[in-house]
Amino acid sequence: MMDARATLPEKQPELWHFGHDGHDPIATKTLGFWLYMISDALIFGGIFAAYGVLDHGMNDAGGPGAAQIVHPVAAFWQTIAVLTSVLAYSLATVAMKTGNRSGVMLGIVVSILLACIFLGLEFNDFATLFAQGNTPDRSGFLSVFFLLIATHGLHMMFGVLWMLVMLVQIPRFGLNADVVTRMLNLRLFWQFQASVWVCVYIFVYLRGAS
Amino acid sequence: MATHQTDPLQHPEVQQASLRGYVAGYGVTMIGLLLCLLLTESHALAPLPLLSTISGIALVLLIAQAFLFFGLDFSRYHIWKSVSIILTVPLFVLSIGLTVWMFHELDGLTMLPEMPGMSMQPTTLQ
Repeated sequence: MMDARATLPEKQPELWHFGHDGHDPIATKTLGFWLYMISDALIFGGIFAAYGVLDHGMNDAGGPGAAQIVHPVAAFWQTIAVLTSVLAYSLATVAMKTGNRSGVMLGIVVSILLACIFLGLEFNDFATLFAQGNTPDRSGFLSVFFLLIATHGLHMMFGVLWMLVMLVQIPRFGLNADVVTRMLNLRLFWQFQASVWVCVYIFVYLRGAS
Repeated sequence: MATHQTDPLQHPEVQQASLRGYVAGYGVTMIGLLLCLLLTESHALAPLPLLSTISGIALVLLIAQAFLFFGLDFSRYHIWKSVSIILTVPLFVLSIGLTVWMFHELDGLTMLPEMPGMSMQPTTLQ
């Protein structure tokens, strides 16, 4: 039986190759993580859709609405903390370009500290609301409000945990391919938190107060 | 002919990190959000124009972050990231926009029109 490949012209571009030749694990893994982040963003899209529906006087059920519980000026401190944390981590990856390991570690530590400030402010907000009896089960609006803010907060907590792991792995393994890939994926994850916060701050805090 | 790189730090994904881009992204986002805060706190605009304005600023900030933070472009290394996010944007518009629009229409069709002074009355759940 004649081999089908024998009929192909000499200069056909190669479509795939069995083995590692031409394989780019860093690009493949970051693209895979990017697609995961898009699916994560769709989760936020679903929660924002629910928030858009439940942010209505009828769903307050006698409880407070957005105007009574959000404080945009106070929340701007959270904005500064989260955006500066994202900048610090991003600058850590700039230091990584030149193999500056201490610069990478410094950027991660600053990023963790600012993320902890953000989370502390958020916990304080939650504690104040709980002390006033404004718990998630009080109304449909409060349920979706806490769900949205806490989902972002959980992402921040996971990011801090991931950075702590990197603080262990970088001195232990150095900036090898696996560590660098994790750093790049964490950069995607952390910068994504800044994008989500822009939506949260504008559509929850500012729209709620207007 | 394929080239073989052994140093992960020379990978284009690593080398795309840009001090200028990140600082610009940070500055644009902070200024944009501060502008939105000032517009909201000053009550210079009516609620609907205010919502339109700050929503427009949010869109600008998200696009700026896509370029300055994520470094999206149509180069060989980022084209599939750019294509995937462009194809996902309609899903956001459909899922959020249609849901809110549908319930807004449902509210208008099923709820009694608000009577004068009705908003002052307690709801049945109170």
